[in-house]
Amino acid sequence: MARGSVMRERIETLARGVPGRFGSALHSERVAARLGLWLGISFTAAFVTGLFSHFTQHPPGRLAWPSRPVGLYRVTQGIHVIGGLATIPLLFAKLWTVYPKLWQWPPFRSFSHAVERALVLVLVGASLFQLITGLLNVSYVYLWPFSFPAAHYWTAYLLYGALVIHVVNEWAKVRRWLWTREEVEPRETVTARRRFLGTVAAASGLTVLFTVGETYAPLSGLALLAPRDPRVGPQGLPVNRSAAAAGVTAMIHDPGYRLTVTGAVGTPLSLTYADLLRLPQHTVRLPIACVEGWSAEAEWSGVRLRDLAAMAGVAPDAVLTVESLERGGGYRSSEVRAPHWGDPLTLLALRVGGEPLAPDHGFPVRLIAPNRPGALQTKWVSKVVAA
Amino acid sequence: MKNGVNAPRLLGYGIGGGLVVTGLAGLVVDARLTDPLGWALWFGGLVVAHDGVLVPFVLLTGVAVGRLREPAPVRAGLIVAAVLSFLALPMVTGFGRRADNPSLLPLDYGRNLLVVLGLIALVTAFATIAVRLRAGRRRG
Ligand code: HEM
Repeated sequence: MARGSVMRERIETLARGVPGRFGSALHSERVAARLGLWLGISFTAAFVTGLFSHFTQHPPGRLAWPSRPVGLYRVTQGIHVIGGLATIPLLFAKLWTVYPKLWQWPPFRSFSHAVERALVLVLVGASLFQLITGLLNVSYVYLWPFSFPAAHYWTAYLLYGALVIHVVNEWAKVRRWLWTREEVEPRETVTARRRFLGTVAAASGLTVLFTVGETYAPLSGLALLAPRDPRVGPQGLPVNRSAAAAGVTAMIHDPGYRLTVTGAVGTPLSLTYADLLRLPQHTVRLPIACVEGWSAEAEWSGVRLRDLAAMAGVAPDAVLTVESLERGGGYRSSEVRAPHWGDPLTLLALRVGGEPLAPDHGFPVRLIAPNRPGALQTKWVSKVVAA
Repeated sequence: MKNGVNAPRLLGYGIGGGLVVTGLAGLVVDARLTDPLGWALWFGGLVVAHDGVLVPFVLLTGVAVGRLREPAPVRAGLIVAAVLSFLALPMVTGFGRRADNPSLLPLDYGRNLLVVLGLIALVTAFATIAVRLRAGRRRG
């Protein structure tokens, strides 16, 4: 009994001493507050741009989002993915800074302290989850049993909620350290802090420098560590789903191919590839802007979707569903609401860069529209259904 | 919790709590897609790997670097090099490559990472020399 309690006392003394063993003055509230501010900004940007991406793909009810500015989605998703990658060093730095607190003793001082720590665990776990599965996902390493978008979407709420609570709890410290005058500190402390924060900022900056070229063409030569090169692919354009992977290789060359326009229409249409080529052709310069953050611009030519809608007598507020020759899968069809199909830039494209589409780009016909995630630029189109 | 309760605080807890509950409920309701068990394994696994392996390793490295005569540039160089290697690792392994789609992971990421690490090593070496020269001049 007595021996046991002596033992326990020893262990407790040892545990109490752990946080004091972290020698670096960088494990400080001031560094944590500064990194916290940076993380707060980048997580807010990620949450807002992520929700934007979600609701462009799953618009609630009859709500429609605008087709302009043309490059909006490309910019928001670029911020999301490149900014998300640049957040990785910030998160690691922050967690290193506050690591001694993991070993605080006693672990729980009160019930509310226990709740606070549980929510910090949620915050840490969700942050690591979002950033690391995000990195793996854009690198095409899918080592998980869940659907990435679904898990990523719900974890975003979890993360941002825990972040809001954490900010409320720590706000007084942030104000004290970031918005009050510096008290006298030893020079070396100030230098060490500036060096550390500068190093972390440099790691973030270099992350951007070596990846952003996958969406920002002028820097594509510097995109040494980006999963895509916007200049590489058939017809100089990257591909997400190849014709072989979609299982359409045989069907797309079928001479019996017809594009049909049906559903709530005055005159149903059924057009051959040659018919489509005889309709007025338009050429537009539009990016493919992938949900994974890369984007590439090209010159597309083909028939305006709104011209086809007019020929078929579609109501001006109709929703068009563009369907692919693919038999199944998440990208088989996409909805085009009025602002998008009414936009003169929205084409059923037959050519890219002056040549017929390569099979991997959607031969014979693909949808291309402004301000829209690449996942919704349906390829191998054979049917337009109005509702 | 510590500084008493006031209206902005309560509002913050309300919004934050609402989002947390939304996230958890979504993960459960959408279980067919989110696979809660697999999700929890990743969530917990990443926390354990980070707190139990990565940080102790970084701390030990930090102690070793602290023994150097001019630790500051080496410390900075190692931090930047480690972050960029972490970023590149999934691509370097080439795990995500697919035969039907050469536009995916099109670069030689091993070589590119070496180029980047080489640049970092060069800058670190120059910085170390500069710091030593300055220290020498101060002493001399
Ligand atoms: C390294 C960091 C990150 C990367 C690489 C990343 C990547 C991605 C990708 C590729 C998508 C598109 C998924 C799809 O539609 O198929 C996406 C969507 C999204 N992201 Fe992230 N993300 C990161 C961090 C975050 C963070 C920190 C948050 C929240 C604070 C977040 C919230 C969202 C949301 C809400 C969506 C919409 C999901 C949906 O469409 O249902 N992301 N992200």
